[in-house]
Amino acid sequence: MLTASDVSPTGRNLTAAVVIVVALVLQVSVANRLPLPGAVTPDLVLLSVVALALTCGPLMGVVAGFGAGLAADIVPPADHTIGRYALVYCVIGYLCGLASDEMDRSAVVPFFAVAVGALAGTVLYAGVGMMLGDPRADWHIVARVVPLQVVYDVLASPFVVWAVLRAMRRYERERARDRFDLPPARYRALSRM
Amino acid sequence: MRDTRRTRVVFGTLLIIALVLITVDYRGGENSPLRGLRSAGEAFFGPIERVSAAVVRPVGNAFDAITDAPGERRRAERLERENQRLREQLRAQRIDADRAAQLERLLGAAGLGGYKIVPAQVISAGQGLEDTVTIDVGSSSGVRPDMTVMTAEGLVGRVIRVGPATATVLLATDASSTVGSRLEDSKEIGVVQGVGRRGLGRGDATPLRFQLLNANAPLQPGQRLVTLGSQGERPYVPGVPIGTIERVEKSLGSLTRTAYVRPFVRFTTLDVVGVVVAPPKSDPRDAVLPPKPKPVVTPTPAQTPEPSESPRPSKSPKAARTPNVRD
Repeated sequence: MLTASDVSPTGRNLTAAVVIVVALVLQVSVANRLPLPGAVTPDLVLLSVVALALTCGPLMGVVAGFGAGLAADIVPPADHTIGRYALVYCVIGYLCGLASDEMDRSAVVPFFAVAVGALAGTVLYAGVGMMLGDPRADWHIVARVVPLQVVYDVLASPFVVWAVLRAMRRYERERARDRFDLPPARYRALSRM
Repeated sequence: MRDTRRTRVVFGTLLIIALVLITVDYRGGENSPLRGLRSAGEAFFGPIERVSAAVVRPVGNAFDAITDAPGERRRAERLERENQRLREQLRAQRIDADRAAQLERLLGAAGLGGYKIVPAQVISAGQGLEDTVTIDVGSSSGVRPDMTVMTAEGLVGRVIRVGPATATVLLATDASSTVGSRLEDSKEIGVVQGVGRRGLGRGDATPLRFQLLNANAPLQPGQRLVTLGSQGERPYVPGVPIGTIERVEKSLGSLTRTAYVRPFVRFTTLDVVGVVVAPPKSDPRDAVLPPKPKPVVTPTPAQTPEPSESPRPSKSPKAARTPNVRD
């Protein structure tokens, strides 16, 4: 194996890419087919982006968000204007990345960030759809979907965040040793409960 | 500290790229230059989804068995029936054209509608606000865009995009889907629009809205709808059952009348579907509808369908088929 400082960024980026692809495939072939009440499903891709941003900072959040969004725009059953998810997830990744600095202030920040990220992501996506005149982003439909979507996202967030942290743990420890970063450790402890 | 200048530059750049992508794809519409990107996505993610669907099917089955134990038996029966029908139609395809045509006529006369179908399985579903699914047949199986997709129960939707081994289906419940339809036992036509089945409220039970074009025609709960058939039989072939009218909206003074429809197909547990690759030779009318559960009120005799009476007997199975069978 190479030295820790050499392997860390590449390995971290690769792991993040794998996390996103896995989340996307699980999203379209498993989560979206679960017969949940209301026919709304948790957005695993959004949650993965939020988790990556919270653990690795805004730069990772922005890049991971854009990549995940673009992939979600072209994954087969998608039928909307290309770039919509890329825009939304990019913004959410940036905002949650900023929040990652605030994580050591309070223990509720992570869950708050997930809830706000889910709400903002869904609303922003619908808002872009409304601006483009998408009939699916009709106000009645959005008002029905958004509350349920946020509830499901918050319910699913501990599991997704736990899984993402498990995947990213190796690179976190390197980082934590370098600059005694407390938040990820705390978040990890929280998500293990 | 971590929100560096570099981060902001990357953020700004990616935001601009996203906006440019949206603009280009939106302005381009159907022939957008980004179609290629989506075909690449189809080619890349399609096989992954097929593999993942094969892997997670047992998991999904276990989940279904837990949540849907009472419905499982009914489902098995339904699938068995569907299987038998699919096998029958598959056999019809294999036999040479002449006999296939005869069998097809026979099937049509037997009330099956005479559609030639390719069976497929749903492998993934869309997220967010859209109601789309991916099926595991593509252009190599003869599937083309704008083909009707149905199950034994009724209409599912239409194919909107085709990859080498996968195809994307727009479900009838999607808010951007519009289907020309006809009331059973009458010539009253209208439009069925999806209103989305996601979210709170009654959308789950009645995800379709029917607009009857003739404001004076009788319209009441319990009446059933079939597809009218598009021009050139694409994207929708005629005679596919859609659903039952659940409630009629009282709207005085409007030119059309609106009703909400409960579809025959259960969209939440969509699994085996068929793509209609060849339309029927003649309109099957109401032949594909299941037998009536109870006598439906007959249309008022006040409407006299005289001009339409002449083409109708020629389309009725007995009149048209018997001479053909003899020679």
